[in-house]
Amino acid sequence: MKRLHPSLLLISISILAYQIILMYTFSITQWYHFASMVISIALLGFGASGTVIALARTWLLKHGEFVCSLSMVCSGIMMMLALPLMQADLFRFDSHLVLFEPHHVLSLVLTYLLLFTPFFFGALSIGLIFVKEVKQIGSLYFANLIGSGIGGVFTVGLSSLLFVQQLFVVSASVAIVAGLLSMPRQNKRPIIVVVVLGLGVIGVIGVKLPPLQLSQYKSLSKSLLPPQSKIVSSEPTSHGLLQVVSSPTLRYAPGLSLSYQKEVPRQETVFNNGDRYGAIIAWSRRDTNHLLDFTTLALPYAIRQPARVLDLFAATGISTAHALTHGARSVTAVEPHTGVIDLIRHECAPLTDSLFHHPLVTVSNLDPRTHLMKDTSHYDLIQLPLIDAFGGTMGLFALKEQYGMTKEAMREMWNRLNAEGMISISTWMDFPLRNPIKALATIAEVLEEEGIVELSNHIMAVRSWGTVTFVVSRSRFNPDEIAAAREFCSSMLFDPALLPDIATRERVLHNAMTDDTFFILIDFILSGHREIVLDRYDFDIRPATDERPFFSQFLRWRTIPHLREVYGDQAFPFLEIGYLVVVVTALQLLVISFLLIVLPLLKIGWRGRHKGWTLFYFGALGAGFMFVEIVLINRFTLYFGQPIHAAAAVLSGLLVCAGIGSYASARFAPTPKNLRTTTLVVVALLLAYAFFLMPFLEATLSLPFGLKILTALAFIAPLGFVMGIPFPLGLRFLGGRSEAQLPWAWGINGCLSVVGTALALIAAVELGFVLVTIIAAGLYGLASLSNTIPRWSRQP
Amino acid sequence: MISSLIILLVALVQTQTDPFHRERDLMVRTQIIARGVRDTTTLRAMQTVPRHQFVPADQKRSAYDDSPLPIGYGQTISQPYIVAYMTELLRPSPGKRILEIGTGSGYQAAVLAEITDSIYTIEIIPQLGNAAAQRLKELGYRHASIKIGDGYYGWEEHAPFDAIIVTAAAEFIPPPLISQLKDGGRMVIPVGSPFLVQQLMLVEKRGNQISTRSVMTVRFVPFTRAK
Repeated sequence: MKRLHPSLLLISISILAYQIILMYTFSITQWYHFASMVISIALLGFGASGTVIALARTWLLKHGEFVCSLSMVCSGIMMMLALPLMQADLFRFDSHLVLFEPHHVLSLVLTYLLLFTPFFFGALSIGLIFVKEVKQIGSLYFANLIGSGIGGVFTVGLSSLLFVQQLFVVSASVAIVAGLLSMPRQNKRPIIVVVVLGLGVIGVIGVKLPPLQLSQYKSLSKSLLPPQSKIVSSEPTSHGLLQVVSSPTLRYAPGLSLSYQKEVPRQETVFNNGDRYGAIIAWSRRDTNHLLDFTTLALPYAIRQPARVLDLFAATGISTAHALTHGARSVTAVEPHTGVIDLIRHECAPLTDSLFHHPLVTVSNLDPRTHLMKDTSHYDLIQLPLIDAFGGTMGLFALKEQYGMTKEAMREMWNRLNAEGMISISTWMDFPLRNPIKALATIAEVLEEEGIVELSNHIMAVRSWGTVTFVVSRSRFNPDEIAAAREFCSSMLFDPALLPDIATRERVLHNAMTDDTFFILIDFILSGHREIVLDRYDFDIRPATDERPFFSQFLRWRTIPHLREVYGDQAFPFLEIGYLVVVVTALQLLVISFLLIVLPLLKIGWRGRHKGWTLFYFGALGAGFMFVEIVLINRFTLYFGQPIHAAAAVLSGLLVCAGIGSYASARFAPTPKNLRTTTLVVVALLLAYAFFLMPFLEATLSLPFGLKILTALAFIAPLGFVMGIPFPLGLRFLGGRSEAQLPWAWGINGCLSVVGTALALIAAVELGFVLVTIIAAGLYGLASLSNTIPRWSRQP
Repeated sequence: MISSLIILLVALVQTQTDPFHRERDLMVRTQIIARGVRDTTTLRAMQTVPRHQFVPADQKRSAYDDSPLPIGYGQTISQPYIVAYMTELLRPSPGKRILEIGTGSGYQAAVLAEITDSIYTIEIIPQLGNAAAQRLKELGYRHASIKIGDGYYGWEEHAPFDAIIVTAAAEFIPPPLISQLKDGGRMVIPVGSPFLVQQLMLVEKRGNQISTRSVMTVRFVPFTRAK
């Protein structure tokens, strides 16, 4: 085959880029979880390509060069066509309406098929190359992995320069170039025709790229509905599509006191990927009061005068301005979104009186948790933003790692406090109660572990009609502070929920509740009987930890029947839709994968040598690789403080090193012993990483960025290198014994990679990341074990 | 007993004219009365207003289901029980002046218009507001005044109101709405995601005193106390 390696490299770049582009697209138009579901199913194109090659192997191998080249071009064309078609009525689905309107289910299925085709054609070309040229598999797999690594980094890099629609043009063009490169010497004409057609498609669509159609339930869609609302700026950033909306009707005043009688000023609002990120409130250095003074978030300022403030997740700087208004002498504003910082520093500087240039403000562009681990200063107040959203987020962020809300984060905040320091945490009151209870459980557990005996002397809480703010103090609250809290409640029409000497009656003076569930829950949380609540509540309100950093995941499987009974079958999924979607995805993937794996057996036969080995070995490798990838991305997210840096480092590091390993695999003879040994080395490394990776990363967290990159690569490189060997070695082993099974092995590996991604996420939620790493080691162990079974591993 | 008789009478009158009367009757009995709504004027209104006229054409067969339904533009028509419960909470009666923020499909306004002839409703999304105005007019609810605009400012010209219902709840209760509420007036606000109203809040104004009360529609028994 012609120019095999460069074309394989390019198609691999294109496919991985396309995967990331789709993730960006769906994150903007829908929500991350639906993105993950749609793309996972589309990725089964890899598995399906193996099935098709197995079923039509003879014909495909005979016309291998032609089909391979044509598939690459078709992949590119379908990538480009997907962009306008996804916006068409027939294909456009709304994740909220899938449960209500049958035609949205049809659109969802059509979207699966639409996105499946580019992956299928791309994978068909790669699979054909692997099967046809199995003797060169080491260097071919090297090109494939290097291409994937480049594709990942390349796309992440381009994402801050180009709009997502423009990225479609890039990935489609790369696929078509790959097809051109691999064009056979004979029978060129049909391919040239298709290439011209493809370029035409790219040209026509590229001239006027269609705008993305957002779900009508995205906050950006709703904000644009009132007349005169408009997007005033739109910018691609490495964190997502950053947009600013100007509207005469947008205002921000969370849980505003009913005693507030002035005008709530209109504000411009910042959106990231269609979700509200923050409001830009006009502020001046001469202001003597702030809108937030009329919310429960003002509690810490009502009882003390903090001079040094740490504002975690500062977003558009509202809380930073609030602290300055109250006379803070220094405010450290920690905000991970570079684009938002730039926005407040530059375009919005006139409106905010150059807030982020204020001499008393230090801006830290890091993830708050990473900042906490690096920072050695001590503060009078550490404030977190309002948790959740008004009316709830329906669990849409259930699988988002929130390292800033774990017990470890709370402990670090506690240890960064001065002797009189406070932590302030506010949440929306959600019904059924979840966020405030989990936040308090986290506080209570950490304080107890820090040796605080009388929790009620260190925790204060104030509730409005819609929000609750907890203030945690290192020192005991004194009578003056308790009196100040009561005075604050009285003037704002709020009610105290927790005070050292609280009376039951005063908890509902202004804002009555139908029953006392909230008070029973918070009293239990602070009592010695906390475990009863944590065990028996309908939702998972156990504190999040670094091992399971999913603060917003509340779903408990065993209580689903009860929730269905209470809310009805149609409504209950909206309570915690995010995690449900992932599980439904995993089930769909399992069923489709099963079919794709079984189907080739109709052609190659159910019986015969090595089938059990092929299934276990390549299946375990596929799932194991993805388990490792998910764990590493997660671990390094905390390390770099930026998920995008983590994803880039892991994807590039792991895939490139695995590519090198694959190249080196040519040096090893494809024997059961070598297969066993290489997979066992992976097992050993993973077990070591399970226990030692996090402590090492924490110890080196304060290193300069460049050194951290090197440290990360030092960890990823050996693992990636060894993980790159078993697959090509296994294919060579199989190729020498049963060539007919090669495509089946490719399909199994593809299917299980996709299933593995979904299962790894579920395992992370249920079991934590250490156990996910151990499971990954177990999967490689299974691959190793499959080479010890005499019937499977003996020579023919 | 009385409420059941009233429902029966209304149902008998409507039997020959409205193909959905049976579904509506069933809705009132099984979804609303069964859950404890007792106010006869509310029940009569719920029995009378043709809910199927307020949902998109492709949702008509689900109009009387026990759930909210999408009406476009990211908005929903509330679950029948929630509409009835909010109406009962407002304590509407003939002659009372009621302001609604968030007209949506116009269904809630129609239910209130069955009880009182002083209904003022504001919708911020022109497409929804215009469609609702047309619908209300066609169905004969000409005394329901509708305005396209920002609900934040209320409707000063017609203030004060005996009751205000905020169906498109926001993160804060606009101060002008509090000031446009009569002494002794009541305001009802649902809190929750579009397809799952989890909480209703009642705001009451007595002189300078303003208080809120959560009226939970779904009760949880979260755990058993340790003995």
